[in-house]
Amino acid sequence: MRVHVDYVTRYEYDTPARLIQQVLRMTPRPYDGQHVRDWRVEIDGDGRLRAGEDALGNVVHMLSLAGPVRRLMARVIGEVDTSDTGGMVHGAIERFPPAVFLRETDLTRCDAALHAFAAEVAAKGGSKLDQLHALLGALNEQVAFDTSPTTSTTTAAEAFAMKRGVCQDLSHIFIGAARVMGMPARYVSGHLARSDGEIDQEAGHAWCETYVEDLGWVGFDAANGVCPTDAYVRVAIGLDYLGAAPVRGSRYGGGGEQLDVKLRVTPAGQ
Amino acid sequence: MLARTADALFWTARYMERADYLARLLETAMRAASLPASYGGSSTEWESAVASAGAAEEFYARYGDATEETVRDWLAFSPDYPSSIRNCLTTARTNARAVRTALTPEMWDAVSDTAVELSRFPARGMDSEELIRFLEWVKGVVRAFDGAARRTMLRNDVYWFVRLGGAIERADNTARILDVKYHILLPEHERVGGSLDYFQWSTILREVSANTAYRWVYRQSVKPWLVADLLILNRQMPRSLASCYEVIARQTDLLAEAYGRRGPSQKQARSILARLTGARIEDIFQSGLHEFITGFLDDNVQLGGSIADQYLT
Repeated sequence: MRVHVDYVTRYEYDTPARLIQQVLRMTPRPYDGQHVRDWRVEIDGDGRLRAGEDALGNVVHMLSLAGPVRRLMARVIGEVDTSDTGGMVHGAIERFPPAVFLRETDLTRCDAALHAFAAEVAAKGGSKLDQLHALLGALNEQVAFDTSPTTSTTTAAEAFAMKRGVCQDLSHIFIGAARVMGMPARYVSGHLARSDGEIDQEAGHAWCETYVEDLGWVGFDAANGVCPTDAYVRVAIGLDYLGAAPVRGSRYGGGGEQLDVKLRVTPAGQ
Repeated sequence: MLARTADALFWTARYMERADYLARLLETAMRAASLPASYGGSSTEWESAVASAGAAEEFYARYGDATEETVRDWLAFSPDYPSSIRNCLTTARTNARAVRTALTPEMWDAVSDTAVELSRFPARGMDSEELIRFLEWVKGVVRAFDGAARRTMLRNDVYWFVRLGGAIERADNTARILDVKYHILLPEHERVGGSLDYFQWSTILREVSANTAYRWVYRQSVKPWLVADLLILNRQMPRSLASCYEVIARQTDLLAEAYGRRGPSQKQARSILARLTGARIEDIFQSGLHEFITGFLDDNVQLGGSIADQYLT
């Protein structure tokens, strides 16, 4: 499938910012299931934009702008050819052995309730892959997709207690549980060309990958309860949201920030 | 386009590129051989030239010994070695002639003149100066052909097949240059990183006209892993594997788009390109340059096969 992505982030400040530093993880890299035909990162404003790579192999753009900055727009626009690999992720960049992804982070740490949940899933037995699918099913049943109660700093345990969350929270819960069950897991940020024909989206998508012996990394989309298909564009990986977030940054000055995101993910021929 | 036409275009470009490669190979061997023996300049250059060309078995069956005369004869003029410079140019011309109407007059001129010119160079008894003149002429012919293609051709499937053939051959040649130098040339008692090693790696750079490029990019003395980085992963270097595969992936994509059908060629080209994009030279050296190159050469041959199945037959 050919997926076209147009992702515009606009910032506006009531008091101009003196200095803005951002790390952008918005550029996908190829693997067996995806070929990047064309990809550009554009910034309106005079600043430095330097491409590099982080420790996990994600493409990273460092953006620095010296103020005063009243408005800033970052736009990524590109086209990716994808194919359905049944969720398997082969041919991606692997800089570390899988065991590195057993490390827990603040956002994915499991509390007693989550430990119990993981133990319950593991008790059903079966192969590692069966257990992961069981986890995916159980999570989908028990935690509802809801954009209202959580924020980008909500932890897995908090979201699990509320039984609500967005794709980010569901992924964190899945990752936390998988790690407790002894399987390396990581966070993936990217885009999903929706099957219902909706092109305008409010935010990027997120899912997880878990390392299964003899299979390698396998993707699981906890928010939709499926394995990723050719509708998914895989952009960045991390131990949790913070490591794979499309934008992280800081600024001096610039009070009253307003953020406006316009994301269009269009499957070919539409 | 008829498969036959595509085939002739593809192979015209491949044979031209190969002629250039052999000319460079011979030139390097001559340069290496002209150094004093204490510098490591001995007969090994000629053996390595034969191995680099990937023609060792036939060669030794015929000549027994690799010396300046035999290697020169074999690689440049032998009618029995299918990829000798003479044969490359002749085959390129035959192929080009079959699709003459698909080529621009400039391209045809560049190829067709070779027949007459070739006969002016005596096959035997050339002294080194004459040979160098001959090799310069060969490189000039290939440049003229390539330049004519880029300057004058319509950007359609005809052009894409020409570029595709050139890039696949080029990738193969670069990989071979790297491999043979690394494994065959360095005698066992010589230290890796020693003076002979250093000299050999700079020879590689010279062989692909990348001496200046190397200094521009790395700004330091010649180091094996940096030479390998330049020739494998650096996308600015038009001869590097990554750069060749960018061209290959692009041309196969254009073909797929124009014909409205994708196939194994596109898939393989993209997957090789993806691997080259993600690779790091430290990792390649750690798991073995030779293994990497061997794997790459196999992949490249396989892609050649897929292209043949998909478009050329």
